[in-house]
Amino acid sequence: MIEKIHLVEKEFKEDIGKISQSKDLEELRIKYLSRKGLISVLIDEFKELPAAEKPKFGKAINQLKNEAQESFNEKKKYFESLSDNAEIKLDLSLPSRRRVIGTKHILSQTLDEMKEIFKGLGFSVHEGPELESDYYNFEALNFPDDHPARDMQDTFFINDKFLLRTHTSPVQIRLMEKQTPPIRAIMPGKVYRNEAISAKSYCLFHQVEGLYVDEDVTFAELRGTLISFVQQFFGKDIKYRFRASFFPFTEPSAELDIWWQPKGKDGRWMEILGCGMVDPNVLANVNIDPEKYVGYAFGMGVERIALRKYGISDIRTFFDNDKRFLIQF
Amino acid sequence: MKISLNWVKDFIDLSGISTEEIVSKLTFSGLEIEELVDQKKIYENFVVGYVKEKKKHPNADKLSLCVVSDGTTDYPVVCGAPNVESRQKIVFAKIGAVIPESRTELKKVKIRGEISEGMICSGKELGISDDHTGIMVLDNDVNVGMVFSDLFEMNDIILEVNITPNRADAFSHFGIARELGAIFNRKVELPNVRLKESKETSTQFAKIKIQNTVDCPRYVGKVVKNITVSESPEWMKKRLRNVGLRPINNIVDVTNYVLFELGQPLHAFDLDKLSGSEIIVRSAGSEQKFTTLDSKERLLQNTDLLICDADKPIAIAGVMGGENSEVTTNTNSVLIESAYFRPSAIRKTSKKLGLSTDSSMRFERGCNVEITNYAARRAAQMMAEISGGSPAQGEIDIYPEVIPQKKVSVRFSRITKILGYKIPDENIESILLNLGFEIDFKSDEEISVIVPLFRHDIQREVDLIEEIARIYGYENIPDIKNIKITLDEKIDQSDFVNNTRNILTGLGLNEIITNSLLSDEAVNGFGNAIKILNPQSFEMSNARTSLIPGTLITISNNLNIREKNLGFYEIGHVFEKLTDGEIINFEDFKETKHLLISLTGSNREDEWYGKSRKYDIFDLKGLADAYLNEISLDSELTDSYYKTPNSLFDYYYEFKHKDNAVGVGGRVKKAILSKYGIDQDVFIFDFNLSLIENILPGAVGFKELLKYPKIIRDCSFVVDNEVEAAAVIKVISNSGSKLLKKVKLFDIFESESLGQNKKSLAFQLEFYDFNKTLTEEEVEKDFWNAIELVKKNFNSQLRGQ
Repeated sequence: MIEKIHLVEKEFKEDIGKISQSKDLEELRIKYLSRKGLISVLIDEFKELPAAEKPKFGKAINQLKNEAQESFNEKKKYFESLSDNAEIKLDLSLPSRRRVIGTKHILSQTLDEMKEIFKGLGFSVHEGPELESDYYNFEALNFPDDHPARDMQDTFFINDKFLLRTHTSPVQIRLMEKQTPPIRAIMPGKVYRNEAISAKSYCLFHQVEGLYVDEDVTFAELRGTLISFVQQFFGKDIKYRFRASFFPFTEPSAELDIWWQPKGKDGRWMEILGCGMVDPNVLANVNIDPEKYVGYAFGMGVERIALRKYGISDIRTFFDNDKRFLIQF
Repeated sequence: MKISLNWVKDFIDLSGISTEEIVSKLTFSGLEIEELVDQKKIYENFVVGYVKEKKKHPNADKLSLCVVSDGTTDYPVVCGAPNVESRQKIVFAKIGAVIPESRTELKKVKIRGEISEGMICSGKELGISDDHTGIMVLDNDVNVGMVFSDLFEMNDIILEVNITPNRADAFSHFGIARELGAIFNRKVELPNVRLKESKETSTQFAKIKIQNTVDCPRYVGKVVKNITVSESPEWMKKRLRNVGLRPINNIVDVTNYVLFELGQPLHAFDLDKLSGSEIIVRSAGSEQKFTTLDSKERLLQNTDLLICDADKPIAIAGVMGGENSEVTTNTNSVLIESAYFRPSAIRKTSKKLGLSTDSSMRFERGCNVEITNYAARRAAQMMAEISGGSPAQGEIDIYPEVIPQKKVSVRFSRITKILGYKIPDENIESILLNLGFEIDFKSDEEISVIVPLFRHDIQREVDLIEEIARIYGYENIPDIKNIKITLDEKIDQSDFVNNTRNILTGLGLNEIITNSLLSDEAVNGFGNAIKILNPQSFEMSNARTSLIPGTLITISNNLNIREKNLGFYEIGHVFEKLTDGEIINFEDFKETKHLLISLTGSNREDEWYGKSRKYDIFDLKGLADAYLNEISLDSELTDSYYKTPNSLFDYYYEFKHKDNAVGVGGRVKKAILSKYGIDQDVFIFDFNLSLIENILPGAVGFKELLKYPKIIRDCSFVVDNEVEAAAVIKVISNSGSKLLKKVKLFDIFESESLGQNKKSLAFQLEFYDFNKTLTEEEVEKDFWNAIELVKKNFNSQLRGQ
């Protein structure tokens, strides 16, 4: 019995596959679906079976019947739709059954964009812990104890020895401890600053830092790399300037400003990143010979850049996670 | 720090250099100008006015109606000052003027029904004095219509300079002049001090002893007798106000003036209040309390450095003087202190006290030990000039161990190596000379210099390279056109997280980033939290132990703005303390990366094609399964289900890898949700990404595609309600058939016709063989065997039988 069912099913599928014009459909209907068609014949045979056998085949026959009818209807509709002047009975203006994709946070997207640019320039990507020791966050980075340089980064302390990292530079130290030059990597991640929360500052933000240590790294190459970055990120015509600055872990140090002119407003120089040549003390702290190797390092805040790029006026907007905001990007 | 450009010009001739150029060059060389205030522009619409008429305002007792002339036009002005009278000459602000005090623009207004076209200003409104009791009345001989900035010589340019912590040397007007001298290659000179000194020497009037010479290497004292304490002359008050200081009296003003001029903090003690006429510099030791000038009692550490007289402390060294030796209007003689303190000692004290002053900020960066003497003499000279004082001869100068000057050399080749650009040798020498370095020697390879003692930041070759580069100008180092690519291994440690983000975004969730600092209440119940020692507020006094509180806060905030259907994910670090004691090493806590998925509300809005559906646990399972499948981890994990509540969930389930919990999810308890004001079901799944990252299978290989047809068989069972579908699937799957490849539950229903407490489960079984077409007979035996096992194991019936 089951063979018969499968046979009819197979034959039906072959036949319906062959049909190429609507007038052949009627023939198909008569062969399978009419009162004397092959499927009705099967049903008749089924009725004759002893009761014990029935459950085995009932469902299969039923399924065949339904599927055949459905395929037939579909095919019929298809031919109807092909005819030249037949109008379909659909209101095509109805709203779509919309599929909705989610969103990455705009800070993640901005970070991704930065990562892509630096990966293209030959950088690896490294990460590290947010809860750090004083050694990795300050001491190894040439922040002397009891020096006003420590005030540059207001710190959340856990105790004398541990703190929430104020920059991702500790990842540089961890990387240099493990790897011998050449080292070329960026370090994205969350950092914390003990500042009052306002439109301009939040207790945490995201940073991307970079490091390149090799035998012949120069300040000129640092400039070239960062100029390439700002041109890729902000556009080729971006106006920029490097000016001298101070960071305990770089010497010489510089800051990079870009000229920023929001629509309808006065333009001004906006600081977007700090950079410089890795201080020899830092290299010595990780047992890299500062006479043989030279390095450069840089760091920038993702929020600060995203605020400008998207014209957002309040940094807290990023952390409010208002759905209406999230789905804009 | 505020810098007056006029004041800077006392020491350097800047003629021919525009303000723009000065601002730009200082900024480029490392002294960033954050703000520029041009006084002429500020006082653009302020002129000398004449009050022609004054009458009472008809509708207000305290207001007057005046007619003010600026020499050409008459203006009606409503004035509230009690001292306004007709025929006064006053400072008149015209419409359009920006009032310095309030920074608001003056507009034509109606005050109580009377038109006012301008304002008669008080000294405070003009930002030139603290007097706000009434309008400023000018002398009668000034010309009406004269521009105010000309009358008061308000023609200065004030720069807000950002002094980086390494540049103690630039923390004064003379310091800025020295920097400009180096930049523009111009001569810089200190004012000549000529003193008319009395016959008596300073040593006759006072004694100085340093007990702690480590923290106080030098202490200079100079006595000035017969002073008359009064207001300072206008020119001095103006300069002090211009740089943001409040004039106090002619003695205190002189010490502040010299501090802003030379960067050397001074203090003036009332000599007659010094017991024993003696100064002793020592550590606080057992001394515990001291009341500073601002009348606040300060708690001392035993290492804090104090200035004392014969029997009591009179100042906290380098930070602030004491009330007990303060100069008052009765003071007759002063002792000027001009000392050099060890930077880190002052910093420690200032930090501990939470007291940062103009003095401490300079001492902690490092002052110039060599200028102490000159600064004391300069102050004495000015006190003589403006307070009629008579300086005693000479200074008491205690400097037991002279601090040696350092020599540092720099190789020309090293400059080129670091910068990647050759700066001409002759530029190098002149830059160093202009910055105050003395040339020790010079050869073809290198140049060695003697570092002046005011440059604490110059210790090594690389420090000199920075000096040379910044004065030469970073903008003069040409851009390069290519960079080198090294062939070292490239890795991206954020790959896995990026991939996770892509998957969850694709699944329709919105990523959130929440605050990692949480209140005690929020972390309560989520493990042993690490406390922040110095939090901004109680709301942010713990490092988070879980991503759940942040997500619940986010859901709550969104519900408040009527966003009811939410699907979020967050990836972030959580922190847990592993010790009961203090954290002393990295083993005492655990920092883990987590992924939190959350769902609440409905799957969508109601639409024309169908109603929305409330999210349930199976939506959550669907997301979790899709994610695990996408990272090829689903087959590596075991799952278990819990129908009774734990501390967080009403019901939940868990994925494990071996014995480690990979993730747990369920419906959040109402009691927790109500704390956040959430009144709808929330489903949460919490994955430990750090763990997952470690157990991820390697690259997934290709699986051969099936070439032969499958045989599909359906069956349904009536089982007790308690029977778990997964258990039945497990029995069927493990029934021993090699051909059975997949079991799928496709229908469940309960009905009275099935009997009390019964349900029907329908399964579809998929059989196939990779190597051949199966016949019905081959499947038959396995199929019925599986059915029998289910019947036996669950005491169930095959439906339709």
